[in-house]
Amino acid sequence: MIDFHTHTPSWRTSSWLGGVSFGADEFVGFMDVAGIERAVVLSHDGLFDPSPSTNDDLAAFVAEFPDRLLGFGTVHPRLEGAPEEVARMMGPLGLRGLKLHPWLQGFSMHEASLDPICEVLAAEGGMLLSHDGTPPYSTAGQIAALARRHPTLPVVLGHGGLHDTWREALTLVSETENLYLCICGTPPYAAREILAKAPPHKVLFGTDAGLSDRVSQDYAVARVREIEGWGITPEQKQAMLVDNPRALLDGAR
Amino acid sequence: MIIDAHVRLGRGREVVLEPEALITSMDRLGIDKALVAPDERCIAVDDREGNDRVAAAAAASGGRLIPYAVANPWRGARAVDELRRARDAGARALCVDSVLQGFDLLDGLLDPLLEFARDAGWFVYVRTGTPPSALPLPLASLARRFPDVAFVMGRSGATDFWIDAAPALRYAGNLFGDTCYAPWDTVLAALAADPEIGASRLVFSTDSPYTVPEAELSRVTDWPITDTERAEVLGGVVGRLLG
Repeated sequence: MIDFHTHTPSWRTSSWLGGVSFGADEFVGFMDVAGIERAVVLSHDGLFDPSPSTNDDLAAFVAEFPDRLLGFGTVHPRLEGAPEEVARMMGPLGLRGLKLHPWLQGFSMHEASLDPICEVLAAEGGMLLSHDGTPPYSTAGQIAALARRHPTLPVVLGHGGLHDTWREALTLVSETENLYLCICGTPPYAAREILAKAPPHKVLFGTDAGLSDRVSQDYAVARVREIEGWGITPEQKQAMLVDNPRALLDGAR
Repeated sequence: MIIDAHVRLGRGREVVLEPEALITSMDRLGIDKALVAPDERCIAVDDREGNDRVAAAAAASGGRLIPYAVANPWRGARAVDELRRARDAGARALCVDSVLQGFDLLDGLLDPLLEFARDAGWFVYVRTGTPPSALPLPLASLARRFPDVAFVMGRSGATDFWIDAAPALRYAGNLFGDTCYAPWDTVLAALAADPEIGASRLVFSTDSPYTVPEAELSRVTDWPITDTERAEVLGGVVGRLLG
């Protein structure tokens, strides 16, 4: 399976997201326990300090296991040089996409400064994964509006609408050609409904691993285990965990 | 004694749970008792029908199911009358969902129902989360206005308002957290380690039928806390709230 939503430790910043530090080898150890073959690893420090050095740290982390870990860096769209940094992420650093967390980073998806960033990202064959599920900056409708401005860029809703906006996420994924949905922190009944009604090729899964107080990432292992109780079909599970993320990652390059 | 502090019985928009299925699940998981609320439609508009259904399910359960009462506070005095009727039929606590019922926790509509709960010795479960009318901190302010009533912060603000769960619990000492959806190795451990909160301010719930009940129980049984703390979370705390 491919876990489409994990995090590095927070090496430089102290945040309420907390968690213990861990090495790439320890993270791959967690993946082995959970049965995860590959993981999309998202920037963590960069969400609080979107400097190029945080993308360097992320690139070094995933480079230890290039067959298992795929890095998504970040920028702040209002900072000068953000499009150039996206080009550096996707080129020399070998990262595979961009992570944005609009409410944490403090910007709106409607800001024009995002357009040159998305243009570079699309041209480099990358994709965008955004936090979603949380007003006022991270609703599916807001993220879909950005996706419509950049129709060749795959855009992933990183949390499938969480608890209170998952119906909006489901609707927008169905309406928006280049919008995908990662079930991650989405409650089980909503996950089941999304899998039943969303375009079958658009649903992904993520554990949000990397934020635990333990290197073993116990909650992430539990989230993988919990899938067995969702009441979904083997075909839905195969598509969500294997076929869809593989096609999206392979197709983006 | 394991007590599930919140389950909804009946048919919701995307879910369904009948009493027989709930009892079967409880037997499988070793859950002794469960507090049961009516389904979404009944919480929103058909409270009398819902209260009758959970009262009947509880009466047929041999003491395994304990009914919540619901009443839409927009109904004013009639809502209080409905709570009185539900109490006489066996209800032991009040269940509130300000999103489904369409009010603001601080607009005063709920006050007569809380006064009834206080006089009846009931605790009050309030569903929290992301909606502005269901945030943890306004609930804490409400709880401070009713210091003689215990409140359970249903879902503990899941998910992104987990960041407000600890400040809310610190702000109102009569407010209790809910374990459902909350990872033990991030959220629950932080709440239990907080000197102003601790495990004795947390209650276990499965929030069935929205969850995988096994996973909700596992997040408490897997959690490396003392046996005494675990017993508190799994049933001791809510047992005391029930009186």
